[in-house]
Amino acid sequence: MDFLKSTQTSKSLLILNVVLSIVYFLCITLLFPIGNVSLFVLLVLSEVFHVWQVFGFIHTIWSRRRLKMFDARFQPPVAVFITVCGEPADIIEKTVIAAKAMRYPDFSVYILNDGKVAKRDNWQEAEYIAKRQGIECITRTIPGGAKAGNINHAMTTTSQPYIVVFDADHQPKPIFLQQTVGYFVDDRVAFVQSPQFYYNAGSNQVTGGAWEQQALFFGPLLKGKDAVNATFMCGTNMVVRRVALQEAGGMSKKSIAEDFLTSLLIHEKKWKSVYVDKVLAEGLAPEDFLSYYKQQLRWARGSLEILFSYNPLLRRGLTWAQKIQYLASSSYYLSGAIVLINALLPLAYFFLALKPLTINTMTLALIFLPYIFVILYTLQLSSNFTYTFRALSFSLGSSTIYIKALWATITRRKNPFAVTSKTRVGGNHGKLVLPHLGYIVLVVAGVVWGVMREGWSPSMLSNIAWAIIYIAAFIPFIAAAFERAPTKKPVNIDKAENIGVRA
Amino acid sequence: MNRFWKSLAIYAALALLVAFAIYFSVTVFALSSLRLDEAQSLFQTNRDITGMLNLVAQDVHVPLYHTLLHFWQLFFGQDIFVARMLSLVFFVGTIIMTYVLANYALKSRSVGLFAAFLVAISPFMNWYGSEARMYTMLSFMTVLHVFFFVKILRMSGSARWILWTITGIIGVYTHYFFIFVLLSELLTLLVIRKKLRDPHVLRGVVIGGAVIGLSLVPWLYYVYSLGFASNTQPALGIPTAGDLFDTYAQFIFGFQAPIVNTLIVSLWPVVVLLAFFALQRTKKKVPLEVTLFVFLAVVPVLSAFIISITIRPFYLSRYLIVALPAVFIFAAWIVTRYRRWIAVTVSGLAVVVIGCLFAVQVLSPNTPVKEDYRQAVEYLDVNAKASDVVVLAAPFTIYPIEYYYKGSAKLTTQPIWNRFEAGGVPVYDPAKVAAETKENVDAYQSAWLVLSYDQGYNEKLKDYYDGHYKKLSEKKFSPGLTVYEYRIRYDIPLVIE
Repeated sequence: MDFLKSTQTSKSLLILNVVLSIVYFLCITLLFPIGNVSLFVLLVLSEVFHVWQVFGFIHTIWSRRRLKMFDARFQPPVAVFITVCGEPADIIEKTVIAAKAMRYPDFSVYILNDGKVAKRDNWQEAEYIAKRQGIECITRTIPGGAKAGNINHAMTTTSQPYIVVFDADHQPKPIFLQQTVGYFVDDRVAFVQSPQFYYNAGSNQVTGGAWEQQALFFGPLLKGKDAVNATFMCGTNMVVRRVALQEAGGMSKKSIAEDFLTSLLIHEKKWKSVYVDKVLAEGLAPEDFLSYYKQQLRWARGSLEILFSYNPLLRRGLTWAQKIQYLASSSYYLSGAIVLINALLPLAYFFLALKPLTINTMTLALIFLPYIFVILYTLQLSSNFTYTFRALSFSLGSSTIYIKALWATITRRKNPFAVTSKTRVGGNHGKLVLPHLGYIVLVVAGVVWGVMREGWSPSMLSNIAWAIIYIAAFIPFIAAAFERAPTKKPVNIDKAENIGVRA
Repeated sequence: MNRFWKSLAIYAALALLVAFAIYFSVTVFALSSLRLDEAQSLFQTNRDITGMLNLVAQDVHVPLYHTLLHFWQLFFGQDIFVARMLSLVFFVGTIIMTYVLANYALKSRSVGLFAAFLVAISPFMNWYGSEARMYTMLSFMTVLHVFFFVKILRMSGSARWILWTITGIIGVYTHYFFIFVLLSELLTLLVIRKKLRDPHVLRGVVIGGAVIGLSLVPWLYYVYSLGFASNTQPALGIPTAGDLFDTYAQFIFGFQAPIVNTLIVSLWPVVVLLAFFALQRTKKKVPLEVTLFVFLAVVPVLSAFIISITIRPFYLSRYLIVALPAVFIFAAWIVTRYRRWIAVTVSGLAVVVIGCLFAVQVLSPNTPVKEDYRQAVEYLDVNAKASDVVVLAAPFTIYPIEYYYKGSAKLTTQPIWNRFEAGGVPVYDPAKVAAETKENVDAYQSAWLVLSYDQGYNEKLKDYYDGHYKKLSEKKFSPGLTVYEYRIRYDIPLVIE
C-alpha cells in the first residue's frame, strides 16, 4: 500500500516550508503595493488560510515518535456492528461473511438494520441475511440519530466491552481484530481506527478520484494525527471501548459528522486514540458522481458545523496539538471559498483590469515559485508521491460543494441532497459541474475582452496562465461528472447518516 | 534492437547533433559581425603573453581562454572566423559531454540524448558556440568537472579526485563564475551526504575545493599587484526579478526581442502545473544525482542575482552558462517523469517553440544581442571622408569598429579615451561634453557619431550634437547601434557624390 509508506520528511525541509510561506505572506501583505483594495483584502484572506493550511500540514507531518502499548494476548469479548440502511443484500452478506471469518476467540457479529426506520423497501433483506448467516440482526423501530442512533441503540442490547463498527460495504480481513484489539491493553485507549481502502478504486473516474483524495488523509495525515493523539473515528473500520463511548454520551447525534464530533468529545475526556496504518478492511468508493457529490457535501457540512458550533480552540480538555489538529481538519472545507477567490482573480483582471497588487508579475514569481515548489515537493514526499493530479482536481473541483456546505451551515439550511433519485445514479451529472463549465466560458470571454483592451500584456498572460491552471484542474472533475454509468452494479450509498467525516 | 545497434543509433544521433551545431555555426553564426566582446578578445590576444595577461587581468577575467586563443591564432590564423572556431570546438564538446554526463549520472541514454539535443538546438548555446569568448569553454569545463564529481559520488579512487581537481582548476581559470559550480557541488553534498556510500566524500571535496581555490591565488595576486582593474566592461545595472527569469528564458529560447521574452516568462504560472506533473508517482526512482542538477541549475543564477543586488552588480546571463547544461539535463529528466502523452506534448511543444525562436534569433534584425559593426563600418568606409571625423560612444566600442575600419576619416571616442595609457575608460562628465566635442570635431567638415553600448549617456550626447550641429542623416544597423551624421563646418562646401 503505497499511500501508507509515507516517508519521514526532514525537519529542515518542513521549517523551510513554514519560512517560505511566511515570507510569501509578508511580501504579499506588507511589501508589495496594493492595487484594488477589495481584491487585496480577499487575497490576504486567502493567503491567511493558505498559511494556516501549511502550518497545519507541517504540524501534522512533523516527525514525532509516540510509544503505544500493544499486547496480542489481550483478547476481550468484542461486538462487531455492521451498520446497514438498505444496501444491496449481496454487499451486506459479503461483509457479514468476512466479519465472521475474522480470527479471534471471542466476538459476535450483529447487523444493525436501520432500513426499516429509513423506510427502505428492502429492509427485511438484512434480517434474512442474519438468519442465513446465523447472526443477530438488531432492527430499529424507533427512528432518530441516523447512524449514531443506530449504534447507540445496538449498544443497549449488547454488553461486550469493545465494539467494532463496519459500514455495510467494508469487508474486514481475518486479522482485523488481532491487529487492533491489542492496543486496548492500555486502559486509556478509547478507540482504534484503521484506514479505509476502496477496492473499486479502479472502476471509474469517480472511484479513482475519491480514493486518491482519501489516500493523503489515510496516509501521512492520520499517521501524523496519531503521533499527537488526535486520530479521529472515520465511521467504519474502527474499534471502540464501550466505557469511553458511554462517557462521551454515546455516538453523538448532534452532527451528521457523528464520528468526528464523538472523537472530539472522547478526547476531551482525556482518552487516547490509536491509528493502525495497515489496510485491515476494504470497502467501496462512491461509484457515481452524484453519490460522490453527496458524500463530499455531507462531510463538508458536518465538519463546518463542528467548526462553528464546537470550535476546537475553545474546547476544554484538548491538548494544544489536538486543538490544532481538529481545527485543521474542520477548517479544511473552508478551502472552497478560497479556491473561489483565487479562481476569480484572473476574471477580475480580464473584465475589469483590477489587480490586488500592482507589482511586476516576475517579482511575484520570484517569491511564489520557491514557496509553491517546496510545498508541492513536501506534500508529495510525505505522501510517498501518491497525491495525484486527479486528487488535486477533485479537491479543487469540490470547491463548489464546500461553498454550498458553507452557505448551508451559515444559513442553517438543511442539506438539499438528503434523497437521491435511483434513476440519476447511473446517468451523467453535468448539472453538478455547471459552475465549472461556466468558469471556462467566462475565462474564454474574459481573455477575448482583456486582449481587446490591452493586447497580450505580461499581466494578461500571467492571468491567462493562472486561469489555465484552474481549468486544467477542473477538467478531470468535469469529465467524471459526464462519465457514463459505471459498468459495475452501482452501490446504493444513499444514506446520509452512514458516512463519516474526513478532512 | 540489440546493444550494438542501439549504441550505433546513439552515436549516429550524437553525430547529427554535432553536425547541426557545426553547420549553423559555420554557415550562420560565425559569419556575423564581430561583436564588442570578441573585439576585446582579439585585441587582448594579439599581444605577447605578458601584455595579454596584463590586459586580461584589467578586464576582470581569468587568463586560460585567452592564452588558448592566443596560441590557437598562432597556429590557425588571426581572423575572427578562426577565433570563433575555438568556441565551436568547446560547443561540440559540451554537446557530447552533456550526453555522457546525463547518461552516466541518470543512467538513461534517452535522457542523455534529449539533454544533448536541447543543448545542440539551444539558440543561446549556438550563439556563444560561435563567439570568440570563453563561454562555451566554461560550459564544457562545467560538464566535464561535474562528470568527475558524479564519479566521486559513485565510487572511490584517487584518479577521479585528481581529475575532478584538475578540471576544477581549469574551470576557475576559465571564468570566475566557475566558483558557483563548486558551490553547487558543495551544497549538493551537504544535502545528500547521509545517502552517500563513502562518508569521506564531503571532506575530500572540501580539501579538493581548497586546492582549487589556492590554485587561483597566484592569479589573484597578480591582479592585485597591478593595482588597478579596468572598467572597460560595460556598466551593469542591478538585476531585477525579470532578469532572473529572462536568464532561463534565454537559455532555452535564446535572445529574443524584449517583448517576446517578457511574454514567455509571463507564462510562469504554468510551471507550477508542470512541477506537479513531475512530482507524480512513477515506477522510476529519483536518482540521487538529480539533486546535483537542481543545485547546478539554480545556485549559480540565484547566487549571482543575490550578490548583484546586495554587493555589486555583475549579473550577465552569459556568465551563468555554467547552469545551462544542468537546466537541460534536469528538463530532459523531468520529461521522463510525466505520463507519456504529457511528455510527448510538453517536449514536442518545447522543441517546436525553441526551433521557431531559433529561426527568429537568426533572422530577426531586432535580436537584441546582434551588433552589426561590420555593416556600420562599411557604411562609414564609403561615406566618411578624410575631412570628417568618426566619434564613437561608448569609447570601448572602438575595438570592433577598428577591426573592420579601413576608411580615411579619423576615429576618436567620446568621452575621449587613450586606451594605451594605464587605467580605465573615462567616465562621462556632462561638464566636459562641450570641450570634448569641440576638441573632437571642430577641425572637421562632418562628424559621424556612432552610438552603441549605451552606458547611460548616449542619448545626452546625441541631444548635445542635435542642439549644436545640423543632423544630415541617421542610420540604424542593429538594436542599439546607430550612426548619425552631423555637419560641423560650412566654410568648405560638402561634396555630394
